[in-house]
Amino acid sequence: MTAAADRPDTAARTGDGTGGLVSARGLTKRYGLRSALAGIDLDIGPGVTGLLGRNGAGKTTLLRCLATDLDPGGGELEVLGSTPLTSAGRTRIRRGIGHLPQNPVLYPHFTAFSLVDYIAVLKELGGRRARHDEVRRVLDAVGLYARRHSRVRRLSGGMRQRLALACALLGEPRLLLLDEPTIGLDPEQRIRFRDLVSEFTRDRGAVLSTHQIEDVGALCSRVLVLDAGRLVFDGSPDELTGHARGRVWSAAKRPRDAATAWRGPDGRYRVLTPEAADPPADAGEAHPVEPTLEDGYLLFTAERA
Amino acid sequence: MTWHLTPSQLDAYARGRADDIAVMSAEAHLVHCPACRSALPADEAWLQASWAELLDVVDRPRRGPLEQVLTAAGVAEDKARLLAATPRLYRAWLAATVAVLVCALFAAHTVRGGALLFLYLAPVLPLAGVALAYGRRVDPAHAFTSTTPMGGQRLLFLRSLAVLVPAVALCAGAALLLPSFGPAWAPASWLLPSLTLVAASLALTRWIPLGASSALLTGGWMAALAGAELVRTWNTVHLFGPTAQLLWAVALAALLAARPLLRGVRA
Repeated sequence: MTAAADRPDTAARTGDGTGGLVSARGLTKRYGLRSALAGIDLDIGPGVTGLLGRNGAGKTTLLRCLATDLDPGGGELEVLGSTPLTSAGRTRIRRGIGHLPQNPVLYPHFTAFSLVDYIAVLKELGGRRARHDEVRRVLDAVGLYARRHSRVRRLSGGMRQRLALACALLGEPRLLLLDEPTIGLDPEQRIRFRDLVSEFTRDRGAVLSTHQIEDVGALCSRVLVLDAGRLVFDGSPDELTGHARGRVWSAAKRPRDAATAWRGPDGRYRVLTPEAADPPADAGEAHPVEPTLEDGYLLFTAERA
Repeated sequence: MTWHLTPSQLDAYARGRADDIAVMSAEAHLVHCPACRSALPADEAWLQASWAELLDVVDRPRRGPLEQVLTAAGVAEDKARLLAATPRLYRAWLAATVAVLVCALFAAHTVRGGALLFLYLAPVLPLAGVALAYGRRVDPAHAFTSTTPMGGQRLLFLRSLAVLVPAVALCAGAALLLPSFGPAWAPASWLLPSLTLVAASLALTRWIPLGASSALLTGGWMAALAGAELVRTWNTVHLFGPTAQLLWAVALAALLAARPLLRGVRA
């Protein structure tokens, strides 16, 4: 496990022939006086990269910069080998990405088919027949083919989310940018989503911004944690989980110096301690438990609160 | 099934040589007889293509009247889809434009010098329409559309065109209904200012969002008119006079020539 702050030059990470999809050096973005991205160094290759962080940590801003929806404020950024700072570069990037924005709003009066077809036209998928074949393919992939003639306003929230995902999958993009993609999906749909993304990223890349840590554990080979616009962790899910090793306890009482603690359904407290040490003194009877990815993430963010 | 089609009947049916009665009889039989169906020669490629075509007809989104008109007028199918699918605010703007023009016409026919009201408003009506055609604040799906290859500049121009054409047609129609005033070309004197303001608003999107640029120019236009009215030393009619028309034309040509400026559009 390596804290990204301790390893400013992450270029070595993708200089290993992974086929870099994203390269950022000192990437910044400000909204007025607030710094949303405060110097991000990052390389992303194929596979699923999970993006974790509190609300306002900069996840959506980073994804929007990668998706060419926002201009970076400073630093260098290349996506799929092109810069988003020129019109030609933006167009090249847009031809290679699939973007699922946070809380996507879709035209309610369109049918599912006509909406995806409309986005397909915007994605320059030429030839009506070939375009319609592609629309059918993505609707089938997200399990909405049977509802292709339904108006968007008649679809449930989960269905709309899947419809938005279908739009992102159009044209088999080289890089998928997914901002909170599993919001509104039931457990079965989430499993299907994981399967879909996992299959999709065999030879391509995806960046998944989410608060659903289980999705990160199930899908991602790499996790990035953002905090206040800075990259504070860059490693594998196992490495993030390992951050909590020896620091997670099941205790009878809530100790005062715990980093985080919460009461479980069995009446005992799950206690995360700031240091790997003996059981917390004022926790009553306590025994160590195996850490989870969520424990590792919570400890990481608690240390920076 | 106690009987089957003979090989000659099957052959005649497959080759399309059977008469109508034999065809109907054969089809009634084939529906219930897997053995005869399997004996029919099948062209797999043709079948696959036919199914694909059928599926395409079934799935093809229904085209609205505007899309049909555009396609009939020779606009490419994909462009017609984009032009017809402008945000709903655009329709509200269209209704508002008609209402404003009716009011302006009413004023022109009932108030002395009322035709000026039309001249003041006509240049900024298309501007308002263009502002409502594209952007984060007016298009609910902007987050989706803006990160597609057609998003940004190309979609902005397409939608602007979709607004500009009906706007100019409506204003031109209204101009024809104006009472006679000034020289013969006076009813068309709004056109160049209007086109120049629209071109300027699009050019400004290099630096500011489309809504802001349209608001800025509309405000500037209104401020210029109000200022001229207040000062009284300079008649607002001069904004539409022969010299002004020449200047508007030069400005429009300069904006169109500076089209590369628009490459950086961040609307």
